[in-house]
Amino acid sequence: MSDDLFDKQEFVSYFRDESDELLQQIDADLLKLEESVGEGHADPEIINSLFRALHTVKGSSGMLGFTDVQGLAHKLENLCDLLRKERMPLSESIVDILFGGRDFLTQLIEVAINGGELPLDLSEYTGRLDKSVAVYEETSHVIEGTSSEVQAFEESTDASTSKSTQDMEAFEAEIARLLEAANAKKADEPAPTISTESVVVAATDMIGETPAVQAPATEKLDKATIEKATGQKRTSLNQTIRVDIERLDTLLNLVGELVINRTRISDIATTLERLVSDKALDASSGLVGPLAKDLADSSALLARTTNEIQESIMKVRMVPIGQVFDRFPRLVRDVAKARGKEVQLNISGAETDLDKTIVDEVGEPLMHLLRNCVDHGIENPDVREQRGKPRAGTISLNAYHEGNQIIIEVSDDGGGIDLERVRARGIKQGLIGSDDRLSDRELIELIFTPGFSTAEVISDVSGRGVGMDVVKKNITRLKGVFDVDSISGSGTKFTIKLPLTLAIIQALLVRVVEELYAIPLDSVIESQRVEMNDVRTVHGNEVITLRGQVVPLVRIAEFFELGGARDPEKVMIVIVGLGGRQVGLVVDSFQGEQEIVIKPLSDVVGRIAGISGATILGNGSISLIIDVHSLVSEAYTDGKVARAEFSGV
Amino acid sequence: MAEATEQRQQLSGEAIKVVSFRLGSEEYGVDIGQVQEIIRLVAITHVPRAPRFMEGVINLRGQLIPIIDLRTRFGMQRTDSTKQTRIVVTEIGTKKVGIVVDSVSEVLDIPVENVEDAPEMIAGVGTEYIQGVGKMNDRLIIMLDLTMVISESEKSQLAGIDAVLPS
Repeated sequence: MSDDLFDKQEFVSYFRDESDELLQQIDADLLKLEESVGEGHADPEIINSLFRALHTVKGSSGMLGFTDVQGLAHKLENLCDLLRKERMPLSESIVDILFGGRDFLTQLIEVAINGGELPLDLSEYTGRLDKSVAVYEETSHVIEGTSSEVQAFEESTDASTSKSTQDMEAFEAEIARLLEAANAKKADEPAPTISTESVVVAATDMIGETPAVQAPATEKLDKATIEKATGQKRTSLNQTIRVDIERLDTLLNLVGELVINRTRISDIATTLERLVSDKALDASSGLVGPLAKDLADSSALLARTTNEIQESIMKVRMVPIGQVFDRFPRLVRDVAKARGKEVQLNISGAETDLDKTIVDEVGEPLMHLLRNCVDHGIENPDVREQRGKPRAGTISLNAYHEGNQIIIEVSDDGGGIDLERVRARGIKQGLIGSDDRLSDRELIELIFTPGFSTAEVISDVSGRGVGMDVVKKNITRLKGVFDVDSISGSGTKFTIKLPLTLAIIQALLVRVVEELYAIPLDSVIESQRVEMNDVRTVHGNEVITLRGQVVPLVRIAEFFELGGARDPEKVMIVIVGLGGRQVGLVVDSFQGEQEIVIKPLSDVVGRIAGISGATILGNGSISLIIDVHSLVSEAYTDGKVARAEFSGV
Repeated sequence: MAEATEQRQQLSGEAIKVVSFRLGSEEYGVDIGQVQEIIRLVAITHVPRAPRFMEGVINLRGQLIPIIDLRTRFGMQRTDSTKQTRIVVTEIGTKKVGIVVDSVSEVLDIPVENVEDAPEMIAGVGTEYIQGVGKMNDRLIIMLDLTMVISESEKSQLAGIDAVLPS
């Protein structure tokens, strides 16, 4: 019994994954369909793809007993069938109905899996759907008699998924026979009416009762599985399996350990070799020499193998960012439509890979940005025309790799950020004084203040002021950098830089007093030695001038209260950058770069400002990782550094 | 667990098995069930801005473990470590914590009837972690509940909120 339950659980989770993909597919198809509205008829390729996706949803949900989902999928399928057979002209309102239906499907699936209330306006929607279908079904009814009934039936078997219409006609005969048998069985019941609703019910009943019909349904699902496994739906022919992300995480942790030990072994080998060559090991040196060499050799081999394992696992965790991008065309379309704007979304670099955990987290910030672009960035078509731009605005979503990072750019050709309005708003909200002189960059930074919004009217899309600060916070949380460029009148460009993975990073090791600290290399701009003569003070705070820019210094030893004396002659400085700001971290010495495996420290000792985690070095000792973001922002919010910066040395 | 208790009772009647260790001139005992392992003192990495009683973190076979200096925790004079200094690794909640002690003596079977409630004089002042005092011949062993040694507030500091880092 418990086995059955387990199987069902597994099946439900499979269903969830499957339907997620299918719903995205449906979205993509509907968007294409919408483009061909002007031609008055639908591209059969698109309709077939739509039909197949709906059919699979119907079949799977039926098997799990999600009758609401099954029913709606069936109705939508019917609608598609009418389109396919060209009994119904393709129009914008039909596409809207299909979009609406797709959204209800999402909700119904959610309710079916997790429980909860059915959407209230569902019946109103299905009423509308039935009505628009009925108009055309009535006519077809006259022409083809009871075909709508047969149609309903043929679709609950596997006939229509992949077979062409000719094959289907042969099948219809078979269905008719089944229908007859079923009707005979129900002879004592009133004859079924033609209304779609009752046909669905009857169909569902019969699936339950007639093994002959149920069996093909199961087969169908298997076929869907195989279809997915062979990757027919996507362009590649790779064989794929689904793996729980947790299993990969465990594997990655283990590899982390392996990397640590590998480094340790090569340290030992190096030490041993040095001892041998220094003649420090005299006992039976004839044996030790070759042994040391052997150890060094095999440790080198081990290093290579572990590196490869590590890389492979990292690759396994990598997924194309397209997984997130896929849902945006629909989003942009909906928002644009709601705001009466015309927007073209161009996506490039969807195949760019990055870590699965980051892909999962980056969707929401990107969604906010795109909404913002449509809502605030792109002007109304009329305004655009007046400004000599094409009526339809363009939003570009672009992703690419750069070194160890992925860059995601969201740009629009809209009006840009209205700095005067930002200033006015900032004064009104008391964020800045009315006679404060702020640079453009500082004004732009204002939009990251929680609660800030320039929108006069709060729309359902954006303008509640929960946008940009949340975006920035999310990106920072992912150890990313978020930047905005805006040119008034010609557009805004948001740039997100993210690490490819959160687990392993390149770091610069530095010594401060007695301990080694690691500084993530992605935030390091440069490191240098500066004579104390070149260090000046502003309001008692040390700064240096670097290529004309004033860079405040933060002495790590003093920030962390580690003790230790200042060197009176020079400072060793690591310049780190954070969103355009630079800060020089003063350390005692540089200890080289190393790849480190991040271990969270916060669940061990609680959160500590300025420390983001720890890593275990090759010799087994622990090095704390400096959290550049929190350290720099703390240094800035202290006011000291800010004063130094603004005083313009 | 139940099986272990049963076994213990069979072996020694009504007795508590404790690991005993020294801090200064006093002898303490901890239920053996709370002790994961005892290791020699290793390099402890200082964690800046951590709570005062926290000595730092160590690397125990690839796992990071916070170390608490029991002398600091009990308001005793700190001393330099010796050859006898040990780290008693225990588990608080689901997290491992190491405790630095002067030396670990032995594993004792203390008959239950020899364990008395802590005298009122030492109990009370934030010393809920003292379970009682065990008598073995002429030795007095202060029975500690290690999970209580870390007071509630400190425990919440230990637990932290891991919002920033991937776990």
